[in-house]
Amino acid sequence: MSTMFADTILIVFISVCTALLAEGITWVLVYRTEKYKRLKAEVEKQSKKLEKKKETITESAGRQQKKKIERQEEKLKNNNRDLSMVRMKSMFAIGFCFTALMGMFNSIFDGRVVAKLPFVPLSYIQGLSHRNLLGEDYTDCSFIFLYILCTMSIRQNIQKMLGLAPSRAATKQAGVASISPGSD
Amino acid sequence: MTNSSKRKEEIHLVNGGVKQSTWSKAFNSNAVWEEKDEFLDVIYWIRQIIAVILGVIWGVAPLKGFLGIAIFCIINAGVLYVYFSSFQQIDEEEYGGTWELTKEGFMTSFALFLVVWIIFYTALHYD
Repeated sequence: MSTMFADTILIVFISVCTALLAEGITWVLVYRTEKYKRLKAEVEKQSKKLEKKKETITESAGRQQKKKIERQEEKLKNNNRDLSMVRMKSMFAIGFCFTALMGMFNSIFDGRVVAKLPFVPLSYIQGLSHRNLLGEDYTDCSFIFLYILCTMSIRQNIQKMLGLAPSRAATKQAGVASISPGSD
Repeated sequence: MTNSSKRKEEIHLVNGGVKQSTWSKAFNSNAVWEEKDEFLDVIYWIRQIIAVILGVIWGVAPLKGFLGIAIFCIINAGVLYVYFSSFQQIDEEEYGGTWELTKEGFMTSFALFLVVWIIFYTALHYD
């Protein structure tokens, strides 16, 4: 097995381990707490209820109906905010761990070509894919680019497989709440 | 309530779809999906499987360059479109339209495709 391919596999393995580590830390600090379980169930129930109500509402619906929906949205926004606060603890812990880990891996893989890309990335991606690498061959892949791709693909799949990903309704309502005017 | 659920089961049997596991429904055409999330999960996982298969084929062939990426996007979107519109014959509007179904799991599958493609390309074409 060539050194480069060994590096490629090692980085995939590191990505799997860090994804499991992140979910593990989050499980210990967040997922297993009663507060989180209660809030998550509440948010999912409210999101589904709100989505169903919005689907059935018509243009001619009375002011009372619309006000009721607004009140429910406000309640959901507050619950989503509480949920985010609960997750913040684990986010800090993970951020701290990962900053240290990334610093270590960056110095280990500094200047090393860890894979060959079967395509030449766009110029604004080359800053990432060819980071700290010598030469002008932009099919050389740096640690950070491969690690990011692995994390993007592996972490979400691990969350879904373990049943830890939030429901789509909750994600949608959280997205709507975060961009609605008058927040913060 | 027992009668209507019994009737549901009978309807499923008549249509050929068996109300058992999600994956049995996924392989039966015209299955009845009571939970939207269940069908969206099937779309998501089929996308990931297509990403792995195409990543392996592209890496082994090898297929290089943006042509490889473009063909992946077309096949990924095309196969799923045929699956949900012809095979399952679902009402796209119920799920927020064709675009919502096309988006479901796309970025994750694209990242997975790139990782698998890179791994196989590096392993087989660079010593």
